[in-house]
Amino acid sequence: MAGSNAQVKEHSVKEPKGLSPRIEWLRDYYFQGAERAWNNEYTAWTTGDPWDEVYDELSFYIVPETYAFMQTFCSSYLQAARKVPLSGNFWDLSLPERRAWFVKEVMTKHLPVEILPGDLIAGGRFNIQASMCLDKKQAKIRKKLVQGKKGSRAEMKWFHDHGYGNAGATSGHLVPGYEDVLKKGWKGVYDDLASRLDALGPENQNSPQANQLKAMMTAATMPRDLAARYASLIRDMEQKEPDPNRKEELARMAANLDHTPWNPPRDFWEAIQALWLTHMLVLSDENYPGPGVSFGRVDQYLLPYWEASMAQGMDREWGKEILKCFWIHANTAYDAMIRTGANGGITAGYGQLITLSGMGPEGTDLTNDLTYVFLEVIDEMSPILEPKPNVRLHANTPEELYDHIIDMIAESQGAPFLLNFDERSMAGMMREAEKAGRQDLINASNVWQYAPVGCLENTMVGNDRSGTVDINLNLLKAVEFSLTGGADLSPYKDTVMGKEYAIDASGIPTGDPTEFTVFEEFFAAFAKQTRHIIKKAMDLYETSESVRAAYHPTPYLSCLVKGCAEKGRDVTQGGAELSFVTIEAVTFATTVDSLLAVKYLVFDEKICTMAELIQALKDNWEGHDILMARAKFKAPKYGRDDDEADEMASKVMDLWTEETWKHKTQSTGRQARPGMLSWNYWVGDGYILHASPDGRPKGQFLSNAICPTNGADINGPTSNANSVGKALGGRKPGKGDFGDYLNSLPNGASHTITFNPSILADPLHKEKFKAYLKGYVQNGGTALQINMLDADMLRDAQKNPADYRHLLVRITGYNAYFTSIGKELQDEVIARLSHEGL
Amino acid sequence: MQGRIFSIQRMSTEDGPGIRTTVFLKGCSLSCTWCHNPESISALPQVQWIGSRCIGCRSCVEVCPHNALELTPKGMQIDRGLCEGCGGCVDECPSTAMEMLGEDRTLEDLAAELEKDRAYFESSGGGVTISGGEPALQADFAVSLLRICQEKGLHTALDTCGMVKPAALESILPFATMVLFDVKFADSSLHKQFTGAPNEQILKNLGLIAEYMQGHENPQELWIRTPLIPGATAAKENIVNIGRFLANNLRQAFSRWELCAFNNLCKDKYTRLGKEWDFAEIPLMTQEQVSALESAAKESGVNPEIVFATGATRSGE
Repeated sequence: MAGSNAQVKEHSVKEPKGLSPRIEWLRDYYFQGAERAWNNEYTAWTTGDPWDEVYDELSFYIVPETYAFMQTFCSSYLQAARKVPLSGNFWDLSLPERRAWFVKEVMTKHLPVEILPGDLIAGGRFNIQASMCLDKKQAKIRKKLVQGKKGSRAEMKWFHDHGYGNAGATSGHLVPGYEDVLKKGWKGVYDDLASRLDALGPENQNSPQANQLKAMMTAATMPRDLAARYASLIRDMEQKEPDPNRKEELARMAANLDHTPWNPPRDFWEAIQALWLTHMLVLSDENYPGPGVSFGRVDQYLLPYWEASMAQGMDREWGKEILKCFWIHANTAYDAMIRTGANGGITAGYGQLITLSGMGPEGTDLTNDLTYVFLEVIDEMSPILEPKPNVRLHANTPEELYDHIIDMIAESQGAPFLLNFDERSMAGMMREAEKAGRQDLINASNVWQYAPVGCLENTMVGNDRSGTVDINLNLLKAVEFSLTGGADLSPYKDTVMGKEYAIDASGIPTGDPTEFTVFEEFFAAFAKQTRHIIKKAMDLYETSESVRAAYHPTPYLSCLVKGCAEKGRDVTQGGAELSFVTIEAVTFATTVDSLLAVKYLVFDEKICTMAELIQALKDNWEGHDILMARAKFKAPKYGRDDDEADEMASKVMDLWTEETWKHKTQSTGRQARPGMLSWNYWVGDGYILHASPDGRPKGQFLSNAICPTNGADINGPTSNANSVGKALGGRKPGKGDFGDYLNSLPNGASHTITFNPSILADPLHKEKFKAYLKGYVQNGGTALQINMLDADMLRDAQKNPADYRHLLVRITGYNAYFTSIGKELQDEVIARLSHEGL
Repeated sequence: MQGRIFSIQRMSTEDGPGIRTTVFLKGCSLSCTWCHNPESISALPQVQWIGSRCIGCRSCVEVCPHNALELTPKGMQIDRGLCEGCGGCVDECPSTAMEMLGEDRTLEDLAAELEKDRAYFESSGGGVTISGGEPALQADFAVSLLRICQEKGLHTALDTCGMVKPAALESILPFATMVLFDVKFADSSLHKQFTGAPNEQILKNLGLIAEYMQGHENPQELWIRTPLIPGATAAKENIVNIGRFLANNLRQAFSRWELCAFNNLCKDKYTRLGKEWDFAEIPLMTQEQVSALESAAKESGVNPEIVFATGATRSGE
């Protein structure tokens, strides 16, 4: 668990609190990581055929850290795979039926089942790598499509190596129809599928639709059979249990499983049990430990069960105890590659998101008692990574909720949740409906039901698969091409093999920029190149999307996504009612600032010629210190609430988002939509992309999502938020997408601001911070991560002052830019911060 | 119309109620020995050099028409006798290491910037604060700016040291939703010793404001602020005497008395301006010292509920 421990350490100031001995034991046990006797690491399962494959690399194309191990994973999982005896008619079945049968067989017959001491929820191991269930011919074709010379893997690596970004058909990233399945039980799902199959008529019982429905029916019985298996195990344990209290708990757990998730749960404990089993099997079905498989608005759809149990006399703390067990289960996702360390190269949380509070119909607020229960559990369990909470704020968010979350932020030295802003987010969803002509599914009467997945990516719920991390495109590549007329600025060099390749000209010809006489010509070239790289990204995505659609059905997940049963089509084939794929633009601010710098240096101020600028970039700014400083410090920047600079941000935003709406996947017909997430690419790709006109040398970080570039935000948190809001479209009375609000990014945009702890020093300042968040509702973006300044960051600022020019330190009543005060004073500020907070 | 400002601070949380944008005007009628904004005192533009930003290119040295700059191993030497504040070096500096303190901004330009945080003002009960230096020294500009802000429906605060002509002050008052007023010493000779001017005029002006508030819509509120400066104002006797004065002369006219504890964070500002500062090595006050003065203030006759101590204190010792 090296990876998650490392992340937890960042929040070491905060300690868990108020845990019962049961939860304390489970939590401590969990954090023993690889030392544990029990874990949930991947096990691999094969048909035993020589052509079989178990590791689906497509899901990892968006994780560049894994590229070097891709072949190793493919081979080693297969090598370690255990053989599952096949049923007599296995090879007579269609691919989705085979896969549904195989996953069910593993989960209900082969994978060991256990209950940890004191645990109140059944559902332990779920991380599997299961046979793709391809026949020999299918396996051969797929192999060529993936691993061939022009296969998806080679295309993906080329794309990444040349600084475009990455793309791949990735699992997860949706809110499955959990609310619905709790209401009707898996039996209800099964019956619905059966009647749909029946409705196809006797002559169509072997059509692709029928095969898909049959596969889904098999999958729909998996939770029932697994629950029965756990119930039987628990009854054995109950027999041997000496402690009468625990004995009673075990009896109740077995009874829960007898009833649910096959039947709809009747109380809170049953609901949490049903939710967990249903959820973990999605992770099994996709062979991926929970990337953005999100729970949605848990405080809303679990409320009836909570209220029922409270009415029956359930103790509030007992309800929380059940939830805390659920928390532990969610974290075992990280066990997948527990012995590899660092989450198998994944450096961020998996993002099983829960959403709390938020707007209801007509601008009402939906905060309830369960909202606070969840917040209490988060507070008492933190620091812990999963599930990741996201709190929705809007104009009518109650004061009590604000007070509660602000106290939590103050105590945690940073927010233990992300904030999502409803009005702006919903404006994006409404834009999406309009662009895609899906107002029937997203409209003013239901848009409030949206929920974020993964980190902050907004989607509808239970019917929406929008591929929210599938395509990650560096907009900056279009600036590079504009400077060269369509070629890389310098040759690509393979750092492992040391081989240098010839300069690649994969852009389109846009002319010699040294002959441009006005900035508009440069921008026109940039616009053409932007259209070109968006097409390149979509083309690359098609190479894995088409393979997934043909060879990687997920019939179990398809049961939980509305549209799949109706169409008889798997979710991987675009079966969802809302089936978008998201292009996440990376390097937004670096791109905007680069355009601003070209305009300022070459055209407005004529500080250098275009040729001189290009030479400086080819030289990675070495020997061009003065020009670099001017680019970096004197050219205008996005993120300062400077209307002229922010106008450039709007232009870039309009350009790339409008272009994105023009694309659809060929194999699955999924409409492309825009977003800005950036995950960790802005760090890694900074070593791939060449020096940029904004004064950034190669090797320095790019900008993160919709945030201003590091150090550009010199006018503080209000101006930073205002710039972000403007870039998204701002507000236009009477003409917004939702109310007055405009939003070009339906997916949403990641925004992080670091505050000085003094903003939370006392009740008066907490009120001011609350007011800031309320102002952000009006002026800011879709999602905000709040960080608090700490001593480590200040030490880093001492070492790298250029990256922290915006960093204000405040000692009540006095503000200073940290980097502009002397070393001695800096040390003093750091010392104070380490001890008491400013 | 133009005003000379040296700084604008967005999201200020310390210059009145709520979240504020504070405009600092250049030029002051006092010269307090502890001043936290030494760049505010002179009404003339001044250049300064920020070492951490300098890339050593000497562009500034070469462009200076008066040969006022010299880059030495100890840093930039600015000959203040030769420098005329033309700003050529500031324009030429590629890395913003040379900075101009004192910029003339038009009313329209400034007013547009002040409106940008309206959403935050409204959610916090904040607004615009005009501070300094002494804003009343540019009274016409202050009046025009605050009038525009009020017309836009923004809450306005005047932060004054009080050492101004009554007529200037009176011209501003109708446009200030509230006044932040500094009272440093009760004793006039101490006041003169530490700030360069006696306090009679200041206290008279304070009375004038209190009286003005009786018959006018604005200002609606008056806050008194006293900096706690070790070796100067931070003495029990001074605080008690100020409190007595306030209680006897202002009665209910003011709604907050803030005691602001000293810190030396601004000492680099003095270095950059080439000035010595007596308070450079003075540590933070201890919590006990601040609490003792706070108690004295609360027992001085002023309603104890409106007395607040702010600012960081020393830990440990």
